[in-house]
Amino acid sequence: MIQFTDWLSRTSLSLAIQTHEWVIPTIQSIHIVGIGIVLVSVFMIVLRILGLAGRDQSLVEITDRFGPWLFSALYVMLATGTLMVIGEPARELLAFSFWLKMSLVVLATIIAGIFGSSVRKDEAYWESSIVKSLSTKSLALFTLLIWIAIVILGRLIAYDHVWGSWSHAPKA
Amino acid sequence: MTVAEILASLQSSGLANRIRDSLYLFPLIESTHVIGLTTVFGTIAIIDLRLLGLASTRRPFSRIASDVLKWTWAAFALAAVTGLLMFITNAGVYYHNFYFRTKMALLLLAGINTLLFELTAGRSIHRWDKENAAPLAGKAIAALSLVLWITIIFMGRWIGFTTTRAQFQSEPDIDIENLLPK
Repeated sequence: MIQFTDWLSRTSLSLAIQTHEWVIPTIQSIHIVGIGIVLVSVFMIVLRILGLAGRDQSLVEITDRFGPWLFSALYVMLATGTLMVIGEPARELLAFSFWLKMSLVVLATIIAGIFGSSVRKDEAYWESSIVKSLSTKSLALFTLLIWIAIVILGRLIAYDHVWGSWSHAPKA
Repeated sequence: MTVAEILASLQSSGLANRIRDSLYLFPLIESTHVIGLTTVFGTIAIIDLRLLGLASTRRPFSRIASDVLKWTWAAFALAAVTGLLMFITNAGVYYHNFYFRTKMALLLLAGINTLLFELTAGRSIHRWDKENAAPLAGKAIAALSLVLWITIIFMGRWIGFTTTRAQFQSEPDIDIENLLPK
């Protein structure tokens, strides 16, 4: 991995990002705007499942409202995130926070995908019973917590030393 | 008390020392700040896009506002408290930082913008609640609000980049040749 980060940091795109000081903060800012869209889209769907918001709307309505925003923003995150990795390979790829975050992103995205298709397939069943079960509500809350953990781990990439010997990232 | 004295006493307070001395506190406070500010931005975006007639148009505005705004305020409180905690750790540097000052000014503008909404379109919600979009004043305020909040996010990120670097320059013992673990 160290050889890979070394190679990546010498590519012309990486050098271009490194030599222009404004690029990294700009990409990070766009990434944060994306977080706002992802986090709140998940939050609104979770609030609906918990019965705390949007109770005048069906599950499919609320999923149609926020699902496309969630997934579009995730593409923006993927693009800006990839540029950050190319621009600062060692900071990202050697960080424990980064890999834990990526694992949770995969998990949370799979949950979101399964939820989105399942709620459309069995709309009536979801509406009448699934959404009311305690396990669905717990899973919804758990999913929100995963996304919150993803945001925290994302910021911790900058402070990867908090993980002690688990971190191989260079000190900032 | 002069401003300089206030900044100095904030910076030398027990709380500021505790945050500075801890390996974990500042990163956790900053992470919580990100959770707060992204929730503020996301929920305000829901409101603004509804006012502009770009999303949730089939739901009455008042219903969306009552679903969302309480979370905006809670998240804003979280962002404000965590922001203040970060500020006191390095009050002198932040206070004189251009991006910090710009961000504070833009936050003030965003507040005035919200007040303007209450004084204009906000007074006649019952008349356009079920319409696709708010009247022109409401739309203009919503568009300005989106621009302001996105700019606030950018300024916030720049505060981090410009103030951290100031600290790092004064740190003499970074071994640039051996940054990567062998």
